[in-house]
Amino acid sequence: MELLVDNLAHGFGVALSLNNLLFALLGAFIGTAIGVLPGIGPVATISLLLPITFGQPATTAIIMLAGIYYGAQYGGSTTAILLNLPGEVSSVVTTLEGYKMARNGRAGAALTIAALGSFFAGSVATVLVAASGPLLTEVALSFGPADYFSLMLLGLIISAVLAQGSVVKSVGMVVLGVALGLVGTDVQTGQQRFTFGVPELSDGLNFAAMAMGVFGIAEIIANLERPEVRSVLSSKVGRLFLTREEFRRAVPSVLRGTLVGSALGILPGGGASLASFGSYMMERKMSRGRNEFGNGAIEGVAGPEAANNAAAQTSFIPLLTLGIPGNAVMALMVGALIIQGIQPGPRMVESQPDLFWGLICSMWIGNVMLLVINLPMIGMWVKLLQVPYKYMYPAILTFCAIGVYSINNNVFDVYQTVFFSVLGYVFAKLKMEPAPLLVGFVLGPMMEEHLRRAMLLSRGDPSVFIERPISAVLLVIAALALGLMLLPGLRKKKEAAMAG
Amino acid sequence: MRINAKDFGSGLLLLALAGIGLWLNTDHTLGTAQRMGPGYMPMLTFGLLFGLGLIVLGISFASGPDPLEKWTKIDFVGLFLGIAVGLVAYPLIAAVPALANNWYPLGIGLVIALLVMAISPGWRKLALVLAGMTLFGVLLDQGGLFLAIAAMVVVAALAEPAHRPLGVLGSVVFLIVVCWWVFIYELDIRVNIWPTF
Repeated sequence: MELLVDNLAHGFGVALSLNNLLFALLGAFIGTAIGVLPGIGPVATISLLLPITFGQPATTAIIMLAGIYYGAQYGGSTTAILLNLPGEVSSVVTTLEGYKMARNGRAGAALTIAALGSFFAGSVATVLVAASGPLLTEVALSFGPADYFSLMLLGLIISAVLAQGSVVKSVGMVVLGVALGLVGTDVQTGQQRFTFGVPELSDGLNFAAMAMGVFGIAEIIANLERPEVRSVLSSKVGRLFLTREEFRRAVPSVLRGTLVGSALGILPGGGASLASFGSYMMERKMSRGRNEFGNGAIEGVAGPEAANNAAAQTSFIPLLTLGIPGNAVMALMVGALIIQGIQPGPRMVESQPDLFWGLICSMWIGNVMLLVINLPMIGMWVKLLQVPYKYMYPAILTFCAIGVYSINNNVFDVYQTVFFSVLGYVFAKLKMEPAPLLVGFVLGPMMEEHLRRAMLLSRGDPSVFIERPISAVLLVIAALALGLMLLPGLRKKKEAAMAG
Repeated sequence: MRINAKDFGSGLLLLALAGIGLWLNTDHTLGTAQRMGPGYMPMLTFGLLFGLGLIVLGISFASGPDPLEKWTKIDFVGLFLGIAVGLVAYPLIAAVPALANNWYPLGIGLVIALLVMAISPGWRKLALVLAGMTLFGVLLDQGGLFLAIAAMVVVAALAEPAHRPLGVLGSVVFLIVVCWWVFIYELDIRVNIWPTF
């Protein structure tokens, strides 16, 4: 306990340095902006800004990128409540009750409870990450190569199972991601694989180019092909204060949402959107105001908004303690760390204390900043929505192009982005979920390493994966997760939950 | 029976990519399970991908109708003409000594192919946005950052009919100023700003 306090004190020391404060604020600010704006999400933004963070120390870079992710959860609720337009996938359910509340003249109250609930959940999640980090690290240090391989396999399978749409197709996307990760120099023999003699490919496909193409540019094209939804602010924000009755009803929902969100965030493949859906389902069944659902029940805003913010933060736990990214955003964080020369893994808490504790403390500071950025400045964010998309997409495109070029100062990377944009466009047309692809791409090379090591140690005997207890348990969970989703009943339930 | 065209297409795509991967992988030594060669993991991965492709293809017969968007005749023509023109242009550009470096044949070939594709309304938005981005790559090294940004924004703006010339001009000026400030002044990336010959 004392150690935890010491560590947190150290973390606050790091997070409160001027540079880190500034970048946390910048991240929270950008996060809120893209959260408010529909049509650009955290995955695209983080990949777009990845190159900009190279010049900064690793801790600062991750602090800013993390700020974008949880900041987007705050911002997403604003448009959901005021315009019935989810700024992010994770605020889709907030539109259901939040917009009704706005129609009833309680927009201010909905915004307040969304922000306060998020703040509370964010604070709890911060403590949770701090407490569980060193614990899980202990566990992870006893992992052998076989256990690691199984853990990554579990991560991949769960990220596919929980993705939207068909499970088999998502598993296909994961494997395709692993396959794309094979391009480049084979670490052990130095042989070039799938590079077509292109020297630029000897380090592998460009991760930022893939993320920007598949998520950013393909999304721009999809938005242009869709007729623009013009929505007008239909109601005034009104008073921001909650009534005593509203407060009393919201508190249990925030608590439940925090709990559900934290749990679903840790799960590999989980994250903010899953958490908000989970919490919404729970509130609709359990809360005292369940009869008012559909007419603007405050529980339906408080729970999911707390949950998505909690999950955005606890999804860092598997990354920081095991080095395993649970979702596409965390895959980008791995990319950012590797570019900075840090191999994510269980030793990170010890070897990078500044990064680990600094990030945790900055999350809490970031949540305080977000409270200030969001509530009093709500009018400014609403104005931002009035910028037409036709002025926004050339800007996004420009930042992508320069950003991806500046990684290696090579135009080949720009052409790679174009290639991945086409691929992302095809994926969208065929309803193939791109998020598992990114997770597979990041985990693939690590899996190959661990597989090789495990098989070398076992002299080529694959039974090592079921003989080691940790590995066996992980594989059983993976098989169960996959098996359960193939049952038609559960699959329908998942589809219903995903559709809100 | 109506098949699920999206799943059918996904299955074909996975199968094709797996097939190409397995074929390319014949160059690599497999090794044994104990001492894996460079080809071992690709064999496992692409083999699995092939299997999954087959399953997705199989499922598409049962997962209900989900048709793709209709392709008009001009969409087909645009796609194949674009690819054909690009394939012809590539070796021609590569034959010009001044353009044989810096990926010029790839970039210019891609721009030409995408612009040809843009004649069909179905591909126009995709093609123009990507042509703008590719043009940025072509122009950047010798044309400089400002010219590259201007060309990219103008071509990409053509993808949205609601754009007016004055608005595009404003976007170009605004983005050049912002990018100069962020990338040159603050981040100091190494790139030409003005054209060099």
